[in-house]
Amino acid sequence: MSSLFNNDAIEKIAREKDQWQEKVYQTAEKGEKTFETLSGSPIEPLYTPVDTAHMDYLNDLGFPGQAPYVRGVHPTMYRGRTWTLRQLAGFGPPEETNKRYKFLLKEGATGINGVFDYPTLRGFDSTDPFARADAGRGGVAIDTIEDMRILFDGISIDKISCSLVTCQPICNITVQSMYFANAQMRNVPLDKLTGTSQNDFLMETAITVSPELLPPKFSFKLSCDAIEYCTKHVPRWNPISFAGYNYRESGCSAAQEVAFVIANAVACSEELIRRGLAIDNFAPRLSFFLSAHSDFFEEIAKYRAARRIWFRIMKERFGAKNPRSLTLRFHVQTAGVALTAQQPLNNISRAAYHALSAVLGGAQSVHIDGYDEALCTPTELSSLTALRTNQILQLETRVTHTIDPLGGSYFVETLTNKMEEETLRLLDEIDGMGGIVKAAETGWIHNEISNSAYEYQQAIESGKMPIVGVNCYQMEDEKLPVELFEVPETLQIQEQKLKKIKNERDEAQVQDALDAVARCCEKDGNLMEIIVEAVKTRVTQGEISHALKGSYGTWDPPLF
Amino acid sequence: MLSRVLTARGIPRFFRSIDDRREKIFMKKKIRVVVARLGMDAHWRGSIVVARALRDAGMEIIYLGNQMPETIVETAIQEDADIVGLSTLSGNHMVLAPEVVRILREKGMDEVNVILGGAIPPDDVPRLKEKGIAEVFGPGTSLKKIIDFVSGPI
Repeated sequence: MSSLFNNDAIEKIAREKDQWQEKVYQTAEKGEKTFETLSGSPIEPLYTPVDTAHMDYLNDLGFPGQAPYVRGVHPTMYRGRTWTLRQLAGFGPPEETNKRYKFLLKEGATGINGVFDYPTLRGFDSTDPFARADAGRGGVAIDTIEDMRILFDGISIDKISCSLVTCQPICNITVQSMYFANAQMRNVPLDKLTGTSQNDFLMETAITVSPELLPPKFSFKLSCDAIEYCTKHVPRWNPISFAGYNYRESGCSAAQEVAFVIANAVACSEELIRRGLAIDNFAPRLSFFLSAHSDFFEEIAKYRAARRIWFRIMKERFGAKNPRSLTLRFHVQTAGVALTAQQPLNNISRAAYHALSAVLGGAQSVHIDGYDEALCTPTELSSLTALRTNQILQLETRVTHTIDPLGGSYFVETLTNKMEEETLRLLDEIDGMGGIVKAAETGWIHNEISNSAYEYQQAIESGKMPIVGVNCYQMEDEKLPVELFEVPETLQIQEQKLKKIKNERDEAQVQDALDAVARCCEKDGNLMEIIVEAVKTRVTQGEISHALKGSYGTWDPPLF
Repeated sequence: MLSRVLTARGIPRFFRSIDDRREKIFMKKKIRVVVARLGMDAHWRGSIVVARALRDAGMEIIYLGNQMPETIVETAIQEDADIVGLSTLSGNHMVLAPEVVRILREKGMDEVNVILGGAIPPDDVPRLKEKGIAEVFGPGTSLKKIIDFVSGPI
């Protein structure tokens, strides 16, 4: 036992605190405000040792790099290595995004974080009638392996860790395959590649639903195929990044964000074990992507609680032994949804606070949003300002100098415990439904998120949740002080390339590749094994998606 | 429950006559709103929150999810919609939103207003209005403002 306080002291403090609250606090002026976290859990005026008296230090907190990893996943944390500066970038045709990557790397970014356009994320070619108006928007357009070659041209993919924000498995299965195939064609062995892909089936079925979806169980299968493939062939790649960030952007509460990512990771683990892999083979490469929202302390508590929950589930439910399996490592993006179109320069301060919470919560890598997030794709100036904010945090504030500086705060530890409790309750509920895939099939996840989103908006509407510039301190006739980004012409460029490729490529080879994909679906084989080869024929992403939908059918998500 | 029509099916109804409209006002028929996300846009949060707010304000909502202009218009005709609410944050608004208005007018649906919400750069707003979008609701718009507009005089 390693109790934090002795019982006599706790009793005495409890008595004194009651007295203070009754005689001093209650009689003082404090208005009619309610005090609660962003997720609606009440906040006390003061926290004391009494709130954390039941905790056992070694069991519940421990040391950095040791169980239960609440205080950090690495023994030295930021004293050893600071978080990766990974700024999201992608827009237009790959030729243009390649220039932005080189710009960010030159300015000190330490990793690439590549985002794809709406058609690519959904498995459509730029020229598809449904896709044409969105080509190059929200990310870079990728249609064939040729685009992948252009995107990483002149970038040392054997040295730079590269995150591919291939949200939907139907995108990931082809786009990640193109990345691997491109590496092979550049003579970079797959075991030299480092990076992460997103590959989260909830992104396809509950978060960013779009036309012609794969049914959840098949989307989930594609996701697990990529994990299995990477475990066997690309050992330094994180083949999945559970996208809690996006769940949160859609409207989740903090506890829902953590519960849904962990339930998703549990489902993947069960499936991979069913396929014959050992937990310690693949779990070290499961990674997480979380949001940093406006409630500073609740966010810090969320990251700390998530680590403890993950550790206990991996140890107790799966019997994992490798320390890397037991540690929840995560990338953070500051909350886009918390930024405003009104008075956009205010977003620089908002995002800096968001990022500070991520760092005090022990994040492994951080993207800070551009101040123009609510208006457009980031301009070069807003990307650079975000990168500089990250560098200021890292180099000037000295928050990196000690590990988990808020550990032991009565308030933060109490919030961490509450967050854990609420998350475990949700995890039980999901288990009771038969797991996360079932919860997506029935529309439960979508419904939960949309309820939370509605409550959030109502709170802004009523003024209960103040947003500066939106429901208070508005300015009439505000002149927009920032330049907006214009997406460069994409469709024509992609159309020309596709036309040329379709003229040049060997159609018999392409057909063979598509037949192989269909056969693999039929015999329930690992699709990534087949698609990494298939993309070398310059088959398009849309053609592969079409083959997958031909085999698996499409799905209409249930709505509310 | 939000009702939902996926794609156009069956024979399209003829558009309403003036008499229908009068009847609606006298009998206080519920305002019918078709809500759709344009093209490939990924963000459903805004469209769902607005759809629920309109429903809670007593309107009838036909929620389409992602759709292209032709289908949105077909649905608006079939469902006898009073207003079409479009949502997009992807940046496709200048291409697809005016297209919805154009096809509606081509089919003679002159009384159906089209409104648009999402991340719309301020400079685009006058250009969209020129092309017939009745109102644009950018980030940070209050639900009340949207409800007031939709339930205002037809």
